[in-house]
Amino acid sequence: MAATASPPPITRDTLAALARAQGLTLSEADLDGLLPLVQATRALLDELAAAPLGDVEPTALYHMR
Amino acid sequence: MADLVWASMGELARLVASKAASPVEIVKAHLDRIAALDGTLRSYITVMGDSAREAARAAEASVMAREQLGPLHGVPIGLKDLYCTKGVKTTGGSRLLGDWVPAEDATVVTRLAAAGAITLGKLNMHEFAYGPEGLNAHYGDAWNPWDRSIHRICGGSSSGSGAAVAAGLCPGALGSDTGGSIRIPSALCGLTGIKPTYGRVSRAGVLPLAWSLDHVGPMCRSAADCALMLGAMAGHDPRDPSSSRSPVPDYAAALTGQVKGLRIGLLRRAFLETADAPQRQAVEQAVKTLEGLGASVRDVSLEQMKHAAAVVAALISVESYAYHEAWLKTRGAEYGPDVRERLLVGAFVSGADYLRGQRARRLIRDEMDQVLGGVDVLIAPTVPIAATTVGAREAVVNGAPQPVRPSLLRYTRPFNASGHPAASVPCGFTPDGLPIGMQIVGRSFDEATVLRVADAYQRVTDWHARRPPLGA
Repeated sequence: MAATASPPPITRDTLAALARAQGLTLSEADLDGLLPLVQATRALLDELAAAPLGDVEPTALYHMR
Repeated sequence: MADLVWASMGELARLVASKAASPVEIVKAHLDRIAALDGTLRSYITVMGDSAREAARAAEASVMAREQLGPLHGVPIGLKDLYCTKGVKTTGGSRLLGDWVPAEDATVVTRLAAAGAITLGKLNMHEFAYGPEGLNAHYGDAWNPWDRSIHRICGGSSSGSGAAVAAGLCPGALGSDTGGSIRIPSALCGLTGIKPTYGRVSRAGVLPLAWSLDHVGPMCRSAADCALMLGAMAGHDPRDPSSSRSPVPDYAAALTGQVKGLRIGLLRRAFLETADAPQRQAVEQAVKTLEGLGASVRDVSLEQMKHAAAVVAALISVESYAYHEAWLKTRGAEYGPDVRERLLVGAFVSGADYLRGQRARRLIRDEMDQVLGGVDVLIAPTVPIAATTVGAREAVVNGAPQPVRPSLLRYTRPFNASGHPAASVPCGFTPDGLPIGMQIVGRSFDEATVLRVADAYQRVTDWHARRPPLGA
């Protein structure tokens, strides 16, 4: 199944709301510092949407031998 | 005494076994050197002087009593400060664990002690292993011994291991490697270090950064010493469900010095071609040296490497956040600012993103297995740049500025995603006198070939034997 379309870029307000929903208390300065990092990470992860994953299953964490 | 701090681990073990040197004088020589130099180098967080001296006296008594000796009997080592040590604080390079004293040793610590190694202390690192520069806001930034006048990074996260071994403050150390944290400081500090195959060495009792990417391994001054240390550490451990039951070969016996007929795949595209000129030239020359020893060389490429940064970002962000979530919510102010920020990113990465990373990881691993079906080892630079000054955010690569952090990780993290064994060996110096590393990657669970190639190269070169400009 193809990956879904990329979500819209995350904003400072969205970031604040997501943080609150997870029980994280972040200051205004925290949000300012974190936003570009989260945006860059999400942009990087969006690249995986183009990977030919097809029926590829996730790599197992444990060796079974 | 100066010779003792520059002797190899193998030489020290032979000196002890033949009674030519006492473990007591070997440990004293290293502790004296730590006292003399580590105020500047900041490679140790905790020096275990009393217990090291006591262990040395016991080791000497064993020799005198003609007891059977382990392969590292009386040989000092250092431990990155994320290895649990019973009764000795284990900080993870963080203030959060500043007073934490584990009740048990990590499995590898137990195994090294059983082989006769004597722990000198716990080594500095990037906080919780989350940074390739090896900086530390709490315990000070380790100083790269190869530049006395300018404070340069050692590379990380195993920065203290890099500085200590390079400066003769211990002959070998444990590092850990989630995106390159053994190989990067090995390259920038002029050492030989190996990240074994995922599952080859137990992670039990090692503070995690990202469970599915973390690897445990040695950092030494030669491939022969890495073989010695790895042989003492490797093998299945019931305490680590990811540890493999694959048999552990005799790594020291594998060091034949022969590479005739060996097939080398040179990673030119996306690796060699993008390195700075000194790194590129040094690795090209090293490959010619191996060719001269009878190896054949052909260019190979890894197309799926383009996914490596995203794969590692997905996995490391979510796994590290999962481990640190409770502390981030209750003790967030105690982290260094850079590490706290990076850890928080994982709160905003979805489960679907994480699993997409685990799926794409398989593409990387399968392609590497396929490429390694046609060659015996892959060779690439370890990092595209030399050690930067502390605080530098950019480095000039082939005339263009590049961000330091992703540059440090670019060539190493694909092999964390794939789990293949990968070593870094010294292969030259920049015009500024800074070490350059060559990366040797092998098939899964074939550390023996990786170490054989590294050792054969070191038998005909002396890059690994040079010493930093620290005086005696």
